[in-house]
Amino acid sequence: MVIDQDLVRHLSEASVSVELETPEMTLNIGPQHPSTHGVLRLVARVDGERAYDVKPVIGYMHRGYEKLAEVRTYAQITALINRIDWVSGYANEVPFIVAAEQLMGVEVPERAQYIRLILSEMARISSHLVFNASYPLELGAATPLFFALRDRERVLDLIESVTGGRFHPNFNRIGGVKPAYGSGPTTKKTIQDLPRGFLDETRSAMDKVLATAAELEALVAGNEIILARTKGVGVIPPEIAAAYGLSGPNLRASGVDFDLRRVSNYLPYDKFDFEVPVGTNGDCWDRWWMRLQEIRQSARIIQQAVDSIPSGPLQAKVPKVIKVPKGETYVRAENPKGEMGYYLVSDGGLGPYRLKIRSASFSNLSILPWALEGILVPDIIAIMGSLDFVLGDVDR
Amino acid sequence: MTASPSEAPTLEEYGASVAAVAGGEATVQFGTVKVKVRRDQWKDSLEKARDKSGLLFFSWLSAIDWSNQVEVGDPLTDEIEERIELMAAVGDLDEGRLVIFATDLAKESLTIDSLTTVYAGADWHEREAHEMFGIEFVGHPGLEPLYLPDGFEGHPLRKSFPLLSREVKPWPGKVDVEGMPGTGDSAPDEPSTENPEA
Repeated sequence: MVIDQDLVRHLSEASVSVELETPEMTLNIGPQHPSTHGVLRLVARVDGERAYDVKPVIGYMHRGYEKLAEVRTYAQITALINRIDWVSGYANEVPFIVAAEQLMGVEVPERAQYIRLILSEMARISSHLVFNASYPLELGAATPLFFALRDRERVLDLIESVTGGRFHPNFNRIGGVKPAYGSGPTTKKTIQDLPRGFLDETRSAMDKVLATAAELEALVAGNEIILARTKGVGVIPPEIAAAYGLSGPNLRASGVDFDLRRVSNYLPYDKFDFEVPVGTNGDCWDRWWMRLQEIRQSARIIQQAVDSIPSGPLQAKVPKVIKVPKGETYVRAENPKGEMGYYLVSDGGLGPYRLKIRSASFSNLSILPWALEGILVPDIIAIMGSLDFVLGDVDR
Repeated sequence: MTASPSEAPTLEEYGASVAAVAGGEATVQFGTVKVKVRRDQWKDSLEKARDKSGLLFFSWLSAIDWSNQVEVGDPLTDEIEERIELMAAVGDLDEGRLVIFATDLAKESLTIDSLTTVYAGADWHEREAHEMFGIEFVGHPGLEPLYLPDGFEGHPLRKSFPLLSREVKPWPGKVDVEGMPGTGDSAPDEPSTENPEA
């Protein structure tokens, strides 16, 4: 059979010229969509299956912490900032307390620093497990949720046994951590310590977390639907990520080998051996993969820390009424979501003159208009979910 | 990069080298490098910092209201020059340097060039600074309110803006068992280092 090339050309051109006219419409997503991690609203211009000019509308959860901090004492502020990113409440406290300690010139005892480090890494595991539960769910895979949340509970139990709180520990004090009553050896004049058996329980919990990480990998990484929905979707090049201030796993997924645990000395991470996973493509898949690998690395750090934790006091000597001397400093930490920092301005009073809170999710989310331009509507959830944000961390 | 591995510069040297490139004066306080630039060089300085000092990462932008009269919080102990200090924190992604650029704005004319063409991430931060402090960013694509509801009046992070809920019900309220430390009421006990039962 001879193919009539003219006819083929005619047909292909014809098919272009009779392209369907699709009416543009404005699509409003939220403010209560189940997979938006809080109260977020998106307004998109939709043409057929593609979204344009996506405008995130935030502020539904704005609590004005920066203003409130100006009328609170330092001890009261740690209770507030627990609630910025409630999925990893403990990790929010550390950079703020370190900033105040810097201005006061307080040396924190080593044991307290190790406890802070262990709890920070536990907060990271718990946050990343929530991500590993919710992200596959957003893409239609329900099972990983049960595996991930089961083990998150183990970690939360450990945090609770030390701090008394699952989500909002409020455990840091200027100069150390809060000595807890009713646990550990109680002799007169001895400060309270980690609960009895905590280190052993942590060891066995970390083994289980590592086993779960392997289970999650087997469940998700081989799933064809997940692969199809995440590989090559929502690619963010490194220079774009940096200009928008993306940090943490989102930045590393784009191939930037940068982790504040290695360059900032807010906690003694230099004493531990761990790797920083770095992605190659900057797509949704890489962002999921980063967080799975970081669970493993955090478990590794915790295992080393419980083996090498020094004994000693939990608190440095500080005055009963905390007054922070005049000065300004910025301390940032590698939170589960990215760079969390506090710019603290003190005038020597009981509370800060100004506290600027730099939260990771705010910058991570601000890339949405760029990342969602011209993509398929079903990919909105895939990309948004992969950025792992919490609206409390966006709105503050 | 300004630093070679053999001779790592101190923070002071690093700050000075950034200031030499971008203009302005560098100070180091508690490990935080701050470069004070002139208001008319704001955008220009950050552009140079990005292109010549490798400060590609945009961390945050915000402001401080330096005010002698305050509605909330404690007033400053010393008389200062009234102004709004605008700050932008940018960093590199190799050695983890972070530089805070700062400039002073007179309260009567709070206009400055927008950084959105230098760092795309400045968009939301400038919207926040606009509504919270009333700073006008010239060249910003759309300074709509970010957090505050439509029709909200005032700039909440100004020191002249009262904290209404606090006026209605002073903190700490009657329900609080502890007094504010230092006010003469019973100061809240930091957990004592002794076991009460022992």
